[in-house]
Amino acid sequence: MLSVLSYGRLVARAVLGGLSQTDGRDYSLITASYGFGKDFRKGILKKGMCYGDDACFIARHRTADVLGVADGVGGWRDYGVDPSQFSATLMRTCERLVKEGRFTPSHPVGILTSGYYELLQNKVPLLGSSTACIVVLDRRSHQLHTCNLGDSGFLVVRGGEVVHRSDEQQHYFNTPFQLSIAPPGTEGVVLSDSPEAADNSSFDVQLGDIILTATDGLFDNMPDYMILQELKKLKTSNYDSVLQTAQSIAKQAHDLAYDPNYMSPFAQFACDNGLNVRGGKPDDITVLLSIVAEYTD
Amino acid sequence: MLTLLSMFYYICLRRRSRSGTRGEALNSRRAVESGQRAVLPVSVEVEQYAKEVLDFSSHYGSENSMSYTMWNLAGVPNVYPSSGDFTQTAVFRTYGKWWEQCASAPLPFRRTPEGFNSQDYIELGFEEPVYPTAVEVFETYYPGAIVQILACSHNPFSQNPATDVRWEVLWSGEPTKVLTPHARQFSPKIKHINFPTNLLRLEVNSSLLDYYTELDAVILRGVKERTMLALYKIPHIDISDLSDSEEELCDAGGPFTHQRTGNGYFDKLPYELIQLILSHLTLPDLCRLAQTCKLLHQHCCDPLQYTQLSLQPYWARLNDASLGHLQSRCTLLQRLNLSWTGNRGAFTLTGFSSFLKACGQSLVCLELSCCHFLNEARLEVISQACPGLQELNLSSCDRLHPQAFTHISKLTHLRRLVLYRTKIEQTAILSILTFCVELRHLNLGSCVRIDDYDVVASMLAARCRSLCSLDLWRCRNLTDRGLNELVSGCRMLEELDLGWCPTLQSSTGCFQQLARSLPRLRKLFLTANRTVCDSDIEELAAWCPSLQHLDILGTRLVGAASLKKLLQACPKLLLLDISFCSQIDMRVVQELSSLFPNVFIKKSFTQ
Repeated sequence: MLSVLSYGRLVARAVLGGLSQTDGRDYSLITASYGFGKDFRKGILKKGMCYGDDACFIARHRTADVLGVADGVGGWRDYGVDPSQFSATLMRTCERLVKEGRFTPSHPVGILTSGYYELLQNKVPLLGSSTACIVVLDRRSHQLHTCNLGDSGFLVVRGGEVVHRSDEQQHYFNTPFQLSIAPPGTEGVVLSDSPEAADNSSFDVQLGDIILTATDGLFDNMPDYMILQELKKLKTSNYDSVLQTAQSIAKQAHDLAYDPNYMSPFAQFACDNGLNVRGGKPDDITVLLSIVAEYTD
Repeated sequence: MLTLLSMFYYICLRRRSRSGTRGEALNSRRAVESGQRAVLPVSVEVEQYAKEVLDFSSHYGSENSMSYTMWNLAGVPNVYPSSGDFTQTAVFRTYGKWWEQCASAPLPFRRTPEGFNSQDYIELGFEEPVYPTAVEVFETYYPGAIVQILACSHNPFSQNPATDVRWEVLWSGEPTKVLTPHARQFSPKIKHINFPTNLLRLEVNSSLLDYYTELDAVILRGVKERTMLALYKIPHIDISDLSDSEEELCDAGGPFTHQRTGNGYFDKLPYELIQLILSHLTLPDLCRLAQTCKLLHQHCCDPLQYTQLSLQPYWARLNDASLGHLQSRCTLLQRLNLSWTGNRGAFTLTGFSSFLKACGQSLVCLELSCCHFLNEARLEVISQACPGLQELNLSSCDRLHPQAFTHISKLTHLRRLVLYRTKIEQTAILSILTFCVELRHLNLGSCVRIDDYDVVASMLAARCRSLCSLDLWRCRNLTDRGLNELVSGCRMLEELDLGWCPTLQSSTGCFQQLARSLPRLRKLFLTANRTVCDSDIEELAAWCPSLQHLDILGTRLVGAASLKKLLQACPKLLLLDISFCSQIDMRVVQELSSLFPNVFIKKSFTQ
């Protein structure tokens, strides 16, 4: 009798285990975006979402959900170039590439490479540079593929803890890796990193995982524990609650940025490197908050 | 225990099956009709955007890009209702009459029917075959280029091979020029046809337009089943329907029992005069005339009437039989235009080959643009049957295997060679340049498989010293080294297209060297070379007085002063494209236009 029961349990476990591995549901990302431009400038007349010199996109394709953020390098303003044009055009181009299916979900750096190539095919002589971070959820394989160039990035939160995060890529202080198109003759002087220099990673995700993709305006002002505190309030996976959480994170970061006495992660890093500063870092803030859910048409 | 187990299994299985139905993502077709399973044959109109671009003759953009390329015509509009020069549209390679004015342009063929004026085409596949009721084209920049819309009976997405392919003209019109360059939705009244179609072809002519026309999307409206009413529609009898089959070219013998005196006074006319009169007839008319009487049959089949033969206007109706019937008359053929013909199985392996073998001896010019029936074997036949060939056009034969081009080097008398958008590779082009030393006109635009253009340029400078025009549009790795060698070797160059060649840097002095080396220069395109600067323009002004066409789109480094110098120094200048040159605004353009009214100064816009 007992052996039958134990045998039965074994069979049950094997069968159920087998079933869950062949879990055929497609996943999707429920994503909301929010942000603030520094000096309260919002991108007017630009399609897609722009917050100051930051830009982002959210795109759906049959095989994958794709997000991207790009932080336009503000230094170009001193040379008469609008820094938001490059990042906005890059993100719009990547969005179009995804919508037309000209990408491979497991190879997000391809989106960056193609997007950058398309920028060079524009009749308009674009100038400028930006960081870029692309996050792709492969619906069928439940894998998240990411690529990050520069100091924007993402966090993956599961069960209230950070399980994956991107690394910042900096050449030196406040000079992240960046894609750029420079005026002719300045090739040696202007930083221009290749899309191939981006960090790539791939990992499995589960239903309910939260992915936060943002520019450095968020991460420089809000440490992880504050972000996690806000994310705890996200209980359901419908769009409105995701948007609400994204808004609260962005707003909090925005408030902290202008607090002169707050020891922000940016200030902390500066202190660690010998610069005696305090306070937040006023910057464009872009937050894309996603939660992994089942795919519905 | 076991019942628990089976319950568990059953529940899990049910969950899997529920989420197992993956929603098939709707492509761009928007089905208005309801109840596909309904029994009633209610014909509701179906509206579809193009699913896929299947074929086209040219485009402005780069292969593998989605900027200004023909693939943008599929799917929903990206730009409309905005107007402007946007990357998300479909743009053809040329516009206006500028390319016809160049030395590299082929001579027009005699007997071109007046109704045929198509310069470019694009073929679109839709999801569902329907009986078309309307076709709408979203034109977003300089509209007015569409001259013909045709529908095909063959379903391009079916696995079956193409049999009995028929093309019907849905609408035909003259090229127009709309007064403003702004976006419009073009929806001409189309003919009703008696077969369902999901393959449309648009033919365009932009010769009246002031700039590149740009198309955004195409809608095909139609019904899945024809209603009874359609059967009562009076068929629109088009004169072209009468010449529906080239079987008329078959000489059936006819009633030749009359004696010669029954021909009227025509036989009194000198032979040459009758020949002259007949030389004004179009080809179908000539073939019909041949069936009237013995005298005219003799005249119409005289090989002297067929020294030039253009079958491009009849591409939709041509097949092996047509070639077979013309074969006996074409023994003195010198110029042959088979562009756009023979696709979808119209020409078999033997048809084209036997025609060329019979008629190729004196052939001097062969136009085979967009001929997808070509393969290596047929190119070999061309190289053997046409030893005296001087002009060969293989533009957009993009399905031709790279190996096929090696046969071209046997045509040592070649003077004009067009390989735009072909897959020719490094070894083949070098071999051609080694043997074809009489080349005057060479087009290697968008030949992406050529690895090193510097070597090609060097070879040209060494072997093809009489080169008159060279098109290196979008050649991706030509540097100043190659360009300097080219201009020092090919001093007779009159036309040079270096558009979208990103690796040429003005700081190396290569453009100034170019200006100094080519006094005969009439056309220079430096499109989207962001390094072109004032000193380059001034050097052109100093050394190239014959300059007629100049394109310096997209540079930030050229100002009004150097342009004025150029316009003053080059009195023959007709075209100056300064689009997206940030130092030149509309005020400068207006000022220059008023000072130099003979020059078309182009400034494209995106808003």
